[in-house]
Amino acid sequence: MSIVVGQAPNLGPDVAGGHGSTHPDRPSRHRKMPQGMATEAVGSAVASFALVWLVLTLTAAGASAVGFGVFWVMGFLLTYGLLTWRLHGVLLMKERLATVFVWGSSLVALVPLVAIIVYVIVHGFAAVFSGFPHFFFADMSQFSSARSPVTQAGMVAAIVGTVEQVGLATIFSVPIAVLTATYLNESTGTFARVLGTVVDSMTGTPSIIAGLFVYLLWVQPHGTSGKSGLAAAMALTVLMLPFVTRSAQEVLLVVPGSLREAALALGAPQWRVVLRVVLPTARTGMVTAVILGIARVVGETAPLLLATSASSHTNWNPFRGIQSDLPLQIYSLVTQPGVNATKVAWGGAFVLVLVVLTLFTLARIVGSSRPGQRRLPWRRSKAVAA
Amino acid sequence: MTTLDGLRQGTDVGSFPASSGGAAAPATSGLPDSGASALVAREVSAWFGSHKVLERISLGMEQKKVTALIGPSGCGKSTFLRILNRMHELIPGAALSGSVHLDDVDIYDPAQQITATRLKIGMVFQRPNPFPSMTIAQNVLSGLRLSGTKVANPDALVQECLEKAGMWNETRNRLNHAGAALSGGQQQRLCIARALAVRPKVLLMDEPCSALDPISTGVIEETIKELREEVTIVIVTHNMQQAQRVSDSCALFLVDGEGMPGHIVEWGQTEQVFQDPHDPRTADYVHGRFG
Repeated sequence: MSIVVGQAPNLGPDVAGGHGSTHPDRPSRHRKMPQGMATEAVGSAVASFALVWLVLTLTAAGASAVGFGVFWVMGFLLTYGLLTWRLHGVLLMKERLATVFVWGSSLVALVPLVAIIVYVIVHGFAAVFSGFPHFFFADMSQFSSARSPVTQAGMVAAIVGTVEQVGLATIFSVPIAVLTATYLNESTGTFARVLGTVVDSMTGTPSIIAGLFVYLLWVQPHGTSGKSGLAAAMALTVLMLPFVTRSAQEVLLVVPGSLREAALALGAPQWRVVLRVVLPTARTGMVTAVILGIARVVGETAPLLLATSASSHTNWNPFRGIQSDLPLQIYSLVTQPGVNATKVAWGGAFVLVLVVLTLFTLARIVGSSRPGQRRLPWRRSKAVAA
Repeated sequence: MTTLDGLRQGTDVGSFPASSGGAAAPATSGLPDSGASALVAREVSAWFGSHKVLERISLGMEQKKVTALIGPSGCGKSTFLRILNRMHELIPGAALSGSVHLDDVDIYDPAQQITATRLKIGMVFQRPNPFPSMTIAQNVLSGLRLSGTKVANPDALVQECLEKAGMWNETRNRLNHAGAALSGGQQQRLCIARALAVRPKVLLMDEPCSALDPISTGVIEETIKELREEVTIVIVTHNMQQAQRVSDSCALFLVDGEGMPGHIVEWGQTEQVFQDPHDPRTADYVHGRFG
């Protein structure tokens, strides 16, 4: 919170320059970044760019863009450090360099994420929107990878498959996950601790193992009719179950113990306390946990490879016959020859990223619908009590 | 039968079940001499693991009276209070001996259902804890819903309980608003209304005003005084003035030293405990000279 009313306390050397509003009634906003800091940073960046460029040109040493960038960053740190040291002393130099490192690292972490999204949008956009809305309503039966144009491709088979498989996996896993989380939270026995450890280690299960598990247990015994949307849903359930259990348990942990006590003191049996007080209090967090669980498995490919496979025709029935889905469709297209197949694959990736992004946004909206409560309930209750 | 530890001569808690008067402190006019205790603790000792926190507490809490438990922090008042409606055993490693009788029925008798006991002996906690997922009206009725009790006219009950808790006028137009949106004092009164809705015989209050401002405290004290007509109240408080203002009788808990269990030093009518204490430690404590 950077809004301080009237005569502000001195918040540190960097902020000292910013206080003293001329209007005592009006809050004065303290600048996060002190004056001069931006100038010095930009100046150092320009200076180091020029320096590196000059050195590389004079020495006639060729450098790739990446190499240039590395030299530039090193030069910037050197220039900026030297400048702040001369201007403000060692203490502030350390502070500013630390700031630069923290900001820089976060930017570096963002780069691959943004790159993936941008890349998928750039490459997938054409396939998705060139024959809009054909891409969302047709299946792949018109499309042959060698000759067909991109506009004849359609993802409806894959979309239907993904929705049904993930939906089934959600129906299978969520009740078990919520009940398990409740048990882990309410019980302190030895079995609960063992189960907690098992759930923890299950979250680390390699996804191909989940696929193998379903393959051996379901697909192989059923022979030729073994591969189906149902098998895929089962494989996804194996992955989703521990993930949702863990998140749900975290959410339940945050429900204040005082509410449980209050309910018990009213003469409630434990199951009613859980059903009527604990779970309703954790409701929004639970929904977030489920959505994040869905987002976690919707893009899984490895377990599906053994449970079903890509097909060009739409199969609405997940219980019978091969049912395609987005990850497998993308995988299948990429392995086919022809430039257009790859383009369509990018289109599929675009749809998949869109689905995941929507789910995450939904999770954020649901999760923040009652702000502060889920994350810091004890702090909130104190604030209310005060 | 002298049962209490640490008694000094002249303290009147020697005869038990505790009646209002003893040899040293004759019955005051305010208390009926019969003194049929609604809730009686006999020889209650409590442990957390191997650490003993209460040493053979015997105390009678009379019907339709307010009993205050006072004493310094960590002397076991809250633990004792929680023993009175079987909340103590929720804590892992907690153990106790002795017995607690509600109208001559031992609430620790294995034949007694815990949930039924807690329905009869309600509790209000230090921090207001209305259920955040429920509205004001739902909060009031939550005890009934949670215990699976059907009620013929829920609206009337909501009004009655909120009136008793002294907050009907403030909340009558927003019964369907979230209970957590109320102020701290209102939340605490909502918790009292919630506890009253199941019509308990005894109401335990664990420092119900310690998180509240003086005005809210005053309102709650008024509520306590009015509730005395229909329910036995046991209140833990750190506030000497509050104990004097609201209680009929008063018990002082003390510990003798670090790691020692808490015990009752003096028990008697509030007036006597504050004006004419028999034990010098009581005089020191109620006048703020130690503890």
